[in-house]
Amino acid sequence: MSAFLMTVYMSFKHYFRDRSSIFWGMVFPLLLMGLIGLAFGRGGELSFRVGFVSSGGPVAEGIRRGLGEVVVFQVTEETDEAAALEELRRGRRTLVIVVPPAGSGAPLRVYFDRARVQESQTALVILERFVAEANLRLAGAEPMVRIEATPMAATPRLRFFDFLLPGILAMTVMNTGLNGVTWVMTEYRKNLILKRVLTTPVHPFAFIGGLVARWAVTNLVQLAVIIIIALLAFNATIVGSLWTIAALAILGTLAFVGMGFAISTVSKTPESANLLGSVLSFPMMFLAGTFWPREFMPAFLQPVISALPLTPLVEVMRGVAARGEPVALYLPGLLYIAAWGVASFLVTAWRFKWE
Amino acid sequence: MNEAVVQVRNLEKRYGPVTAVGGVSFDVVRGEIFGILGPNGAGKTTTLEMIEGLRRPDGGAAVVDGIDVGKNPRGVRGRIGVQLQEAGFFDRLSVEETLRLFGSFHRRRAPVDGLIERLQLTEKRRSWAGTLSGGQRQRLSIAVALVNDPLIIFLDEPTTGLDPQARRNLWDVIAGFRREGRTVILTTHYMEEAERLCDRVAIMDHGRIVALDSPRALIRAHAPATTIGVTLTGGAADFAALPGVRRVEQSNGEVLLSSSDPLQTVHALMDLNRAGAVHFHQLRVEEATLEDVFLHLTGRRLRE
Repeated sequence: MSAFLMTVYMSFKHYFRDRSSIFWGMVFPLLLMGLIGLAFGRGGELSFRVGFVSSGGPVAEGIRRGLGEVVVFQVTEETDEAAALEELRRGRRTLVIVVPPAGSGAPLRVYFDRARVQESQTALVILERFVAEANLRLAGAEPMVRIEATPMAATPRLRFFDFLLPGILAMTVMNTGLNGVTWVMTEYRKNLILKRVLTTPVHPFAFIGGLVARWAVTNLVQLAVIIIIALLAFNATIVGSLWTIAALAILGTLAFVGMGFAISTVSKTPESANLLGSVLSFPMMFLAGTFWPREFMPAFLQPVISALPLTPLVEVMRGVAARGEPVALYLPGLLYIAAWGVASFLVTAWRFKWE
Repeated sequence: MNEAVVQVRNLEKRYGPVTAVGGVSFDVVRGEIFGILGPNGAGKTTTLEMIEGLRRPDGGAAVVDGIDVGKNPRGVRGRIGVQLQEAGFFDRLSVEETLRLFGSFHRRRAPVDGLIERLQLTEKRRSWAGTLSGGQRQRLSIAVALVNDPLIIFLDEPTTGLDPQARRNLWDVIAGFRREGRTVILTTHYMEEAERLCDRVAIMDHGRIVALDSPRALIRAHAPATTIGVTLTGGAADFAALPGVRRVEQSNGEVLLSSSDPLQTVHALMDLNRAGAVHFHQLRVEEATLEDVFLHLTGRRLRE
């Protein structure tokens, strides 16, 4: 086998036998995806939990049954008010409705969580409409205006995991370069493995090229595993072509592996190289629109976000994977990523040391 | 027969104001084991690495198997085997995988099975390099140096850090290279290793070669005296007046006599004993070693 292919094969084996790199490359992105999904992913379907407290009576029973028919309300009956309010305080209820004893003439009391304004206000509007209609019915009047709502899916319907998955893929490609390559290359140098390679007549392109190719293979394997699990376990969907995503992963690999190489040429120890890689990758992970839309970040950060090499990769991945857009739409971003790759490899060629 | 396969001329290496190697010249003849002996920091490794083409010399030149290292370092690396001091492996590749990987870096390849057998790594063939003992790692390191079936082999401190058993084991392996007509150039700071293994030894100190010859000839030329140690139980004598004795020292209750004619000196000592002038219960004769040669040439010991 040629030196290039043997390097790809053996260094991939070497990677695959390391449990910690399997964790960072596959388990960690999936874990992150699951946790972020748990925290933010519930906005998909509108649903409010309503606590219901009453001391009985036909009117109270009528209200309870009526509320039960409101699709977005999940009504839980509570025996006493204090317990219901405790549930509200713990964030397990959006509203708590207390029906006064029959014949007291007191109003319905509604409690809501001040901290979750948007959610509570929406629920309150729905409740008010329900009460208005109930009053009309009790008065025996026929409503003059009716609404008929027909549900329509916006195309493409973007659910949270569909939004999140491309970001996670881009992040994984970045971490392979900035956290994986930095550590591995400085470690090989420190342990004199690179020097041992230098004692042979192998051409540097064959060996270094073999390592770069193995990181491309690594990324493709990692992304395949993440995509399969995201589709099966998180019910995510990918609209665009998997081949395009693979091609984007390879472009991203070249850029971020190049950056990893460049960092490893300026750092003396594996620890310092890894630290430098993390200093760069960590803020990028949170700024580049990986987990939530970049518009969530303040305006003064937007120029910084635009300059990050991860941002265009996240955008093109999301465009292709979640919205099925053509790659050509993202040409400037792709060129920007490629420019980072070229610059990084130039630095590497200039500064690279075998020992 | 006496063809020089390695020619070294005035090699120099400076690191800032420090001269690591200050003009080293020697020839290595085909089929010999050539040793570079010296203390740590003498410039042995730097010299070796300049010949291997791993380090660019600041002056001088080296020709290996007819190829100028400065002009064609990669050409030289294809023809030689290099074992580096303390170089690591891919920890999670097995012995066999390591040899296959490094084999792929060469055009010429020795069969992996033969290397594994010869370096006694058969039982460890599927073990990861990271799990090997010091001696096994050193043997794997030498196996890696042999993957291209080289005729010229460079070994940098091949037995440093090994226990005596493992060291003797490696000496057998290295002596085997000579039987196959390969040329070996090794560095060491063990005088015993140089004496037992090497056909010729260059003694290096402070970046220069201070002496170069066969171990026997070096000892004859630079440390001709044999040491005779006598442990006295009674009596006294003027040991300095005995035939052949050049110097008398006391050490740990033992009288040490440096003698240029050990046979005559021992005879004289036995006569004194028989005459009852002195009584001793132990007498030992110690040949001079390369250690004495080094001491004589530099005024210091090899390891201090």
